[in-house]
Amino acid sequence: MAKEMTLSGCAASAQAVKLAKVDVICSYPIRPYTAAMMELAKMVADGEIDAEFIHGEGEHAQLSVVYGASAAGARTFTGSSGVGVTYAMEVYSPISGARLPVQMMIADRALDPPGDFGSEHTDAMSCRDQGWMMGWAETPQEAFDNHLINYRIGEDPRVMLPQFVCQDGYFVSHIPGKVIVPDQAQVDEFLPPFNPGKHILDPKLPVSHGPQIRPDQGTIMDLQRAEAFLDLPQVIEEAVSDYNRIFGRNYSPFVEEFMTDGAEIVFFIQGGHAATARHAVRHLRERGVKAGLVKLRFVRPFPSVQVAQALSKFKAVGVIETSTSYGGSMRGGNLLPEVRAALYDVQSRPLTTSFMAGLGGDVVSLKDFYWIAEVLTRAVKAGRVAKTVYWAGLEEATA
Amino acid sequence: MFNVPRERAVPFGCVTPAPVGEQPMMITGNWREWRPVIDHEICNLCMNCVVFCPDACWQLNAEEDEVVWNAKYCKGCRVCITECSTEALTKAYELDFDDGVVRLEKPF
Amino acid sequence: MSVPVKTQNLPMLKKLRQVAKEKEQYVPGHRTCAGCGPALQYKLVAKAAGPNTIFIGPTGCMYVANASYLCTPYQVPWIHSQITNGGAVASGIEAAYQARIRKGKWEGELPNVIVMAGDGGATDIGLQAMSAMMYRGHDVLFICYDNESYANTGIQTSPTTPYGGNTTFTPPGKKIPEGKTLFPKDPPQLVIGGHPAVKYVATASIAYPIDLMNKVRKALNVRGPTFLHIHAPCPKGWKFDEAKTVEMARLAIETGMWNLFEWVDGEYRYQYRPKELKPVGEYLKHQKRFAHLTEAHIAKMQAFVDAKQKAPGAPGKVPAPLPRAEV
Repeated sequence: MAKEMTLSGCAASAQAVKLAKVDVICSYPIRPYTAAMMELAKMVADGEIDAEFIHGEGEHAQLSVVYGASAAGARTFTGSSGVGVTYAMEVYSPISGARLPVQMMIADRALDPPGDFGSEHTDAMSCRDQGWMMGWAETPQEAFDNHLINYRIGEDPRVMLPQFVCQDGYFVSHIPGKVIVPDQAQVDEFLPPFNPGKHILDPKLPVSHGPQIRPDQGTIMDLQRAEAFLDLPQVIEEAVSDYNRIFGRNYSPFVEEFMTDGAEIVFFIQGGHAATARHAVRHLRERGVKAGLVKLRFVRPFPSVQVAQALSKFKAVGVIETSTSYGGSMRGGNLLPEVRAALYDVQSRPLTTSFMAGLGGDVVSLKDFYWIAEVLTRAVKAGRVAKTVYWAGLEEATA
Repeated sequence: MFNVPRERAVPFGCVTPAPVGEQPMMITGNWREWRPVIDHEICNLCMNCVVFCPDACWQLNAEEDEVVWNAKYCKGCRVCITECSTEALTKAYELDFDDGVVRLEKPF
Repeated sequence: MSVPVKTQNLPMLKKLRQVAKEKEQYVPGHRTCAGCGPALQYKLVAKAAGPNTIFIGPTGCMYVANASYLCTPYQVPWIHSQITNGGAVASGIEAAYQARIRKGKWEGELPNVIVMAGDGGATDIGLQAMSAMMYRGHDVLFICYDNESYANTGIQTSPTTPYGGNTTFTPPGKKIPEGKTLFPKDPPQLVIGGHPAVKYVATASIAYPIDLMNKVRKALNVRGPTFLHIHAPCPKGWKFDEAKTVEMARLAIETGMWNLFEWVDGEYRYQYRPKELKPVGEYLKHQKRFAHLTEAHIAKMQAFVDAKQKAPGAPGKVPAPLPRAEV
């Protein structure tokens, strides 16, 4: 029987990992994701979950441990935040290239300098080229669901890719919300046991994992992974559709639209601040502003087709950027360049600009969203955007 | 969708089957300048050559009670000759032999 | 639900003939240099361990020279790891087998899990991962094959390069006549005493193959983490005739530059300890990497070796002057 619990994002993640019956967990403490590992440690100690709980000596070690464990046929789980995510950078590509469906939880956190425990997406986003799936949860419920959905997708023989399952530090990882936790039987129906196939380390069928390749094979090696990403959207659709059916959810696989009927301006966002954005959209609508929300669920693979289809309906799109890409083409974050690329071939494109908000754990308030709506409204009136990036709350709302 | 030439293909996840007995994709017999020559009359089957060859190119043939040399892989390092406990092993110039192997210009 | 226990008891070898009869698991067909010391120890280790083995190969000569291209000489399962994380990857593999056997997902004896790390991957960039693995008590054998340099990248200094060793990062010159001014780390000391779960540490050499293979088997028979430090001369890096690889290993022991011992649950036991040591010059003179040393430098080396002989492997007062001090 499914039961309703009040859980923070970290606790919800732990529940999902327990129900996924993982074999090997590797921990290392760093705020704010640590709470998930603390929950799992207690579950292991009480015998609620049968898994090896390895105390890694650092984040690089965490990824190394799960690389080995996955190569030896185990379903694995690890996680980190902030500079921990970037410390492990060396190991992401080896895991993805070896096609090991490791799962890593990222409760995101601003990168040093200086020490800042607050949320920011830059830590995970800076790893988006490493060949892993990546997507954000808005609520503890979605965090719970995303863990199970990602195991299913990542372990699919057509995919075999590792997954970053992300949630905003503190806003999602620590603020409790309602989570419907299914029972084991439902989860078993959705998520089959990990079947690693023939490319694991087994003395009964010896293989050599990762010998050197020639330079003229390099392109082919990378092409393999690129092809896996091409096949990925279909597997995502199947998995999400199955998930909705078994657990009674209503997820859109790639982009979720909220109050977009007749909308002229929309907020485009990923992660926890979408929760505030929903309230802002409702209030704006009450005041006669034709606002809407489009929420991104996967940033890798970036659903270009679905984003273009969704956004081409509107007059102006404000991309909320909770990560930085210094010197990037938009001089702001990472999402606007991807959005504009997705919209490039669309006949009638909306105006697009971006808003740096929520960096370093800063709250993105309703006022910020009203301010963003003001800029977008003026842009629609003027028929153009004045610039590609605004720093919300720190400047005039000029179009 | 893509035309990958067979010689450039890479197995899934870069995982290859383990070799059995030898690794024929890395033949090293064409490296050597010197070849070890054995006089079975003198050889006392001490097993030094079998044990000390880094490339496992000396093996004991238990039935025939003699050691056998692997021409396909021997790199001509001459460790066996140095470690031979008798005068059984000596070195000879590779190209003095009819089946002496000419070194390849480029290894791959 | 079975509990993974190692029931194997690999028997000790006595004669070279027995060694010759064991099946090869590190087969001919690899791109290591002719006369490669590390390749020889790999062959012996693999023979000793047998088929129920998984090797982890951190980047280094025993990866790069063995795994190009798309082929390896490892007849048993093998996986590449980064040079930084041999210990961590091995931990993950061992943990996976513990879990899978316990949960009934795999049947069999817990495989031997062996890390084959070079001196860099063990004592330098890989030190953290090695230590953590020892601390966590995984049932893994960590081998440091010591060719006293980062050889794969073209012979650069590592923490085990001897004082005075000429490498491309410690070339002798007008300002720095001895080349390398630092004295080396002592790898077994890094493990002994600091890791409560470790019960067996040993040094070995290709000059004594039966001793080496027996130490591998002893380490594998022990439940828990174990460490082997194997001397593996490198003809290319040390610049000597490759036919003399095994001789060089023998000379190291005869001059005290290498000491053979086991540390078992707190006790030291020594093997092949010469009654009288030859002077270190007898060892250094064969290797061009030491050709630039003066009498004064060699005397320093001799003092370092002499101080270690009272109790090889144990901590003691070793005259290693600060590198920035006057000669």
